[in-house]
Amino acid sequence: MIRLLAARLGQIALVTALLSFAAFLLIGLMPGDPIEIAIAGDPRLSSEDAARLRALHGLDQPLWARYLAWAGGVLEGRFGHSRLFALPVAALLWPALIGTLELLGLALLVAGVCGVALGALAALRPRLGPLVQGFALFAQAVPAFWLGMLLIILFAVHLGWLPAGGSEGGWRALVLPVATLAFANLAAYARHGAAALSAALEEPHIRTARAKGAGERRVLLRHALPNAAVPLLTVAALDAGALVSGALIAETVFARPGMGKLIYDAVMGSDFNLALIALLVVAVVTMLATLAADLAQRWLDPRIA
Amino acid sequence: MRAGLGLLGLLAAFAAAAPWLAALLGHDPFAPDLFNRFAPPSAAHPLGTDELGRDLLLRLAHGARVSLAVGLAAALAATLIGTLVGLLAAWRGGWLDAVLMRLADGLLALPALPLLVILAALDPAAVGLPRGEALADVLRLSLLLAAFGWVGVARLVRAGALSLLARDYVRAARALGVSEARLLWRHVLPGLAAPIAIATALAVGGAILAESALSFLGLGIAPPAPSWGNMLANAQELVFQAPLAALWPGLAILLAVLGCNLVADAISRGR
Amino acid sequence: MGRLLLALLLLAAPALAQPRETLTIGITQYPSTLHPNIENMVAKSYVLGFARRPVTAHDADWRLVCLLCEELPSLENGLAQRETTPDGRPGLRVTWVLREGLRWGDGTPVTTEDLRLTWEAGREAATGMGPAEFYRSAYEFIAEGPRRFTLRFDRVTFEFASLGDFAPLPAHLERARWQADPRGYRSRTLYDTEPTHPGLWNGPYRVAQVQPGAAITLERNPHWSGPAPQFRRITVRTVENTPTLEAQLLAGQIDMIAGELGLPVEQAAALIRRTGARFRAEFRPGLIYEHLDLNLDLPALRDRRVRQALLLGLDRAQIVARLFEGRQTVAHSSVNPLDWPHDPEVRQYPFDPARAAALLAEAGWTPGPDGIRRNAAGERLSFELMTTAGNRSREAVQQVIQAQWRAIGVEARIRNEPPRVLFGETLSRRRFQGAVLFAWVSAPEGVPRSALHSSEIPSAERNWSGQNYTGFRHAEMDAILEALPVELDREARRALWRRLQAIYAEELPALPLWFRQDAHIWPPWLEGVRPTGHLNPSSLWAEHWRAR
Repeated sequence: MIRLLAARLGQIALVTALLSFAAFLLIGLMPGDPIEIAIAGDPRLSSEDAARLRALHGLDQPLWARYLAWAGGVLEGRFGHSRLFALPVAALLWPALIGTLELLGLALLVAGVCGVALGALAALRPRLGPLVQGFALFAQAVPAFWLGMLLIILFAVHLGWLPAGGSEGGWRALVLPVATLAFANLAAYARHGAAALSAALEEPHIRTARAKGAGERRVLLRHALPNAAVPLLTVAALDAGALVSGALIAETVFARPGMGKLIYDAVMGSDFNLALIALLVVAVVTMLATLAADLAQRWLDPRIA
Repeated sequence: MRAGLGLLGLLAAFAAAAPWLAALLGHDPFAPDLFNRFAPPSAAHPLGTDELGRDLLLRLAHGARVSLAVGLAAALAATLIGTLVGLLAAWRGGWLDAVLMRLADGLLALPALPLLVILAALDPAAVGLPRGEALADVLRLSLLLAAFGWVGVARLVRAGALSLLARDYVRAARALGVSEARLLWRHVLPGLAAPIAIATALAVGGAILAESALSFLGLGIAPPAPSWGNMLANAQELVFQAPLAALWPGLAILLAVLGCNLVADAISRGR
Repeated sequence: MGRLLLALLLLAAPALAQPRETLTIGITQYPSTLHPNIENMVAKSYVLGFARRPVTAHDADWRLVCLLCEELPSLENGLAQRETTPDGRPGLRVTWVLREGLRWGDGTPVTTEDLRLTWEAGREAATGMGPAEFYRSAYEFIAEGPRRFTLRFDRVTFEFASLGDFAPLPAHLERARWQADPRGYRSRTLYDTEPTHPGLWNGPYRVAQVQPGAAITLERNPHWSGPAPQFRRITVRTVENTPTLEAQLLAGQIDMIAGELGLPVEQAAALIRRTGARFRAEFRPGLIYEHLDLNLDLPALRDRRVRQALLLGLDRAQIVARLFEGRQTVAHSSVNPLDWPHDPEVRQYPFDPARAAALLAEAGWTPGPDGIRRNAAGERLSFELMTTAGNRSREAVQQVIQAQWRAIGVEARIRNEPPRVLFGETLSRRRFQGAVLFAWVSAPEGVPRSALHSSEIPSAERNWSGQNYTGFRHAEMDAILEALPVELDREARRALWRRLQAIYAEELPALPLWFRQDAHIWPPWLEGVRPTGHLNPSSLWAEHWRAR
């Protein structure tokens, strides 16, 4: 277990380092440094101003030197400054990360509970199986931002029940983003949940439990669900990346502060230091989540190891 | 299976029929008509017109060409890369297998969309592609999506190939001195048809969805070329003025992805 | 019964008695920094307008007025004097007097020491302030007591009374930080590290809370000496996506949308049409000049007749009427009709495809087999038409322009790039092969030197600065652009401006399209907001905003 953990952590470190290098190089090839954009926006900037500002921001250095300086700083915990928000990057990351984790956690919970409930329905009532399958296929095919927009029109504009976005208003502001995000991810849980539960219900010890006269509900909750947990955790592990991608869409549609929106804003505002660091943080967190799901899976089902 | 293929066939026929439809209805889906903006559905414009007075049905048909092309191109590229990598990993094994699969794991664990946002903002000219041309856009997006899409295929193919390579008939062929290339081509690959088909079908749907998401974020196919994604993103900005305009491209995306998923689902159930 | 009545009264009381105390404003951009002198963006000016005042500004009538000073310096009142600089050039010596009783939010008086800090920081290259032209020109700062100061300039300009961005910085908080490390000041300034410090603000409001990327909350500044503002709290919320912004307005999460950074006019007009009396809209014509820059190095576009034909082939009035519900002002040159130097007699180009065709034929371009014109050498009249990718409104206009030009036998090939690439490289390095659709924002009576003077053509030697992207060279235009700033007599300037517009309209280095209007959306109960239509935002007069 320890060796496995060490190997996986090493792998995460390697992927992160490679990713940072590749992204930095690609971004370095982009045209239009911040100074050129400032010139285009402000006719009063003269030739001397351009040279002065470029030297001040270190943009007159070659690309590799900038990468080494940047990576060295990041390793020492100096994340630098966001040009876009004029704040230290670290100060921006924390609230954004918390916001995203809140959204993701709730969406995962809702998707998991609803998905498993649907799956259970399909497993217990085989006649409803095709219906649940059909619903899952449909849910997977709906573009998330389209759904978000439709929800805003319905619940925020026409009915006025919920805020259209932002982060004020506590739980009410979370309802629509969580619903949008959960809907797209619920399908996987419903399908795998149905399959895993049907399989579990066929296992000998459950037949035994049934024979002993345990009620259907008790059989499902106490015996079948724990067995189905392992495949569901696999889905969670595989879906971590997709969930984070969904968060970016939900945060953009609902103007909700978070990591996804931070990356998007940073890219759109040419704040590449912020974009890079935020991307790396998201990648590391996603990979750690995948690892955690894997470990939980092994712990629950020693056969896998 | 039949439902899925039927849906996809219908959409493909719709895309192919774009010029005939234009001739039939008698207008050009690329020529703005400022006197006819946001027209409601009528005989001349079965779905009405967009913000520049262009026929929505015709633009939807032209958008189908672009969106399906992106979906197919990205999925085929992903399948090709994924099959090669998966086969190579299963056949060679050892350190190559380990490296390739760790790479795949790494990519799979990465959040794709934030990365795509950064990659899509890159300058195509920096990697030798022309900027802003529709065909180049399709190519650029397909490559980007394929860069992430191959992983799923590779894992499926590797697992399938490993079990096939261990089968008796493959071992027998090997013992008979069949060349390795022929062995993989004649004996292993055909056995992988089902998983590859599933992965491809899912990848097509995934690519169409991803294209629409990137277009929504302003990083997809650039106007004036219509794609379902940019039509939807456009309609989304005008959602209060013309809510119906957001319905059709959204529905088209939904149907296309649904078709792909149905096909994949049917193959995996062996029907 | 009695108890029930009481309960009813309690329920009704807040709605009846309490005047509105808070105002929530939606804008589409988040200010990157709150430091007054680092970077220049509309969102920052808008938010800072509530919390901090410059010495002078242009008001809603586009006149220069005093905000912190007692009276505008002029040659007549003696506060401005012509003089000769130490190295013998014509210069100016200008004096301002700060109003009495000005205080920072922590009670410290605003004095000339605060202005001295701005001046010193601006002159120090390492500070990293944006344009330093002002600070290079203002070579001496003389404080004559705590409220009176004089600047000496090494050149003469008619704009001498305007101090622009040169506004006090709180020396009691910022001087030590700046002096310790001018190079690191950009990231260490209190404006960004502790923006809620009351001592940073001298306006009617101070920044009370900052949610990066999302919202900035302002509260009344107890040390403000001007008229008391009505709203206790103002929240400025950023929503980039305009449909979401509109949804938040309709859902009641925001009260108003600022026109400075708000909805596109057509979206605003449609909103008002749909919602009736729920909101009020004011459309304010502004100094945002949408135009097509043409690359004059291309042989086809170098011919003036071709440029005139291109403009004659555009039905701008129809585009404005159909796409913008008539809410833009068709432009005839780069000078806004509302700006006093505007010449109503300037040559105009109404839609006239027949005349356009004749001009093109005269220039040697005759219709080819595919409908596109060709010259004697058989080359097609075809060039690229670019704009900022992702700007839906511009992309729509662009496609209409393409269709209208096609009708006169000109092919425009659409190729768009994201703003970063378009402005950062293609335009600034003059790599565009045809026309680019974008906008200039200017101040009232802004001299368009950087866009029209032949010495402002961007090149590697000039670090790619300058905005004469078209490559326009015209000796008389150069002379006018040099004479205008130093001419202090308004009537003499009027003649120069008239000539400038005449040359512009004749030569058409860029094709004028229209001046954008800002759509301000207010609740019916809000009064006293006066949109300006230029770079000094309406929030600079927020103390006059009232709720009914």
